[in-house]
Amino acid sequence: MKRKTHWGYPLLASIIAAPAMASGDLQINGFLSVGATMADSNDASIAGADNQGGFKNDNVLGLQLQKQVNDSTTVTGQLVSRGSDDYKTEAAWAFVTYAATDDLDLRMGRLRIPFFYYSDFLEVGYAYNWVRPPEEVYRIGFSSIDGIDVTQRFSSGNFDGSVQFYYGRFQGDLTINGTTLAADFRNFTGLTLTGETGNFGSRLSYHQAELIIPASAVDPVEDFRYSGQTSTFLEAALTYDDGDNSAIAEWTQLEHGTSALLDDSAWLISAARRLDEVTIHATYSTQVDKYDSGINGDMQKARGLGTEETSITLGMRWDYDSSTALKFEVQHNDEEMVQGADGDSAMLYSVAVDVIF
Amino acid sequence: MKSFKHSCSALIIALASSAACADISVIISANNPNSSLDQTAVSKIFLGKAKRFPDGSQAVPVDQDEESATREAFNTNVLGKSDSQLKSYWSRLIFTGKGTPPKQSGDDASVKELVAKNPNIIGYIDSSAVDASVKVVHTF
Repeated sequence: MKRKTHWGYPLLASIIAAPAMASGDLQINGFLSVGATMADSNDASIAGADNQGGFKNDNVLGLQLQKQVNDSTTVTGQLVSRGSDDYKTEAAWAFVTYAATDDLDLRMGRLRIPFFYYSDFLEVGYAYNWVRPPEEVYRIGFSSIDGIDVTQRFSSGNFDGSVQFYYGRFQGDLTINGTTLAADFRNFTGLTLTGETGNFGSRLSYHQAELIIPASAVDPVEDFRYSGQTSTFLEAALTYDDGDNSAIAEWTQLEHGTSALLDDSAWLISAARRLDEVTIHATYSTQVDKYDSGINGDMQKARGLGTEETSITLGMRWDYDSSTALKFEVQHNDEEMVQGADGDSAMLYSVAVDVIF
Repeated sequence: MKSFKHSCSALIIALASSAACADISVIISANNPNSSLDQTAVSKIFLGKAKRFPDGSQAVPVDQDEESATREAFNTNVLGKSDSQLKSYWSRLIFTGKGTPPKQSGDDASVKELVAKNPNIIGYIDSSAVDASVKVVHTF
């Protein structure tokens, strides 16, 4: 009971003394990444780069607006414009948050799908060391859905954790093997668990959806259509960060009901060392497709499906001034298999500047 | 660097003087009924992981301005992160709508004034600036 006695004054005081703290502020934040790439050959495809120099594919501009409407409700919108998509502007996020308690949030609207460790801030280059997340693992061609999610956070002593559940639907254009088709992924749902204690963190997530692509109905083989078969995605990550040294290992597995897509697994391991404003890092990432058994597998080979590739990336990040990072990166990409045939390898050199404002 | 700070604050306690080197105090309003907070509790509030004081009232952290030496010492010694690490930490939360960093609220004097007036605000200032309008909950 005694605890409540100080409530009257603080409420009054906060109204008088701290109007700037009030919930009504409209917050505007943004991020911008600009980059240049040069590959030593066109024998392998990395990040859409070629040996003529590129100034477009890594460019991303994001603008975010956020406003707390009342004690429990906040609206957030994030518009992202990507050079790789001819600067078409898309709402990556557009949602209303209802904070049921301090630790329980309900969100509805357009949300990022929490496939990966870096999904939530996938395009905020400033938030990670790479110029771009390794493509072998971060290989899913869409990143937002329309739907709802619930996040419960919990904390005890040095342990912080969260459970997130979402449900929604993806409707949009999707590029698969070079062809862009209208896709409709229904009953899109998933669960993400995170835990953090001291310098260690972990993440586990499961996702599934029913894939429908109306245009695939013309395929003569029923198993190669997208007619509502379920695909599943499993991910696990471990992280470490003691301030000077950091590391992440992330493993993922995709399984498809349709034979038009190959099941695969992909993982990465990355380590970084900070020396004041400079961070050096090294990453190994790999992806391997798996053919179906029996006749469908034979048909997958006949159709020229199947990739297997590995990359080694060495890079440096220099936080040369507040809110600005300059990055250099060298990536060796070895495509052991491309479209079911032997591939080649190439080196990619990248430079990028990431700014948040 | 850390051990230097520690021996430094030990020296201050021994001499009961804060003139020798900059000791920093985490402060709340004199009208806030909470007493001491440990380093974990302070850093949870400043990293947006905890939103309340131990007695259940709302806790609103405020930062000093970016150029402040007090801020740098606080970030290094209490939060254990450099400025760019913190920027990266907050950019992950800002751009997912999950949180916003403490508001930049000036220097020792202006933070003390804000804290003194509002029992929900928690800040940090150079120990030499502490007076009766605020209560020290943690020093380092």
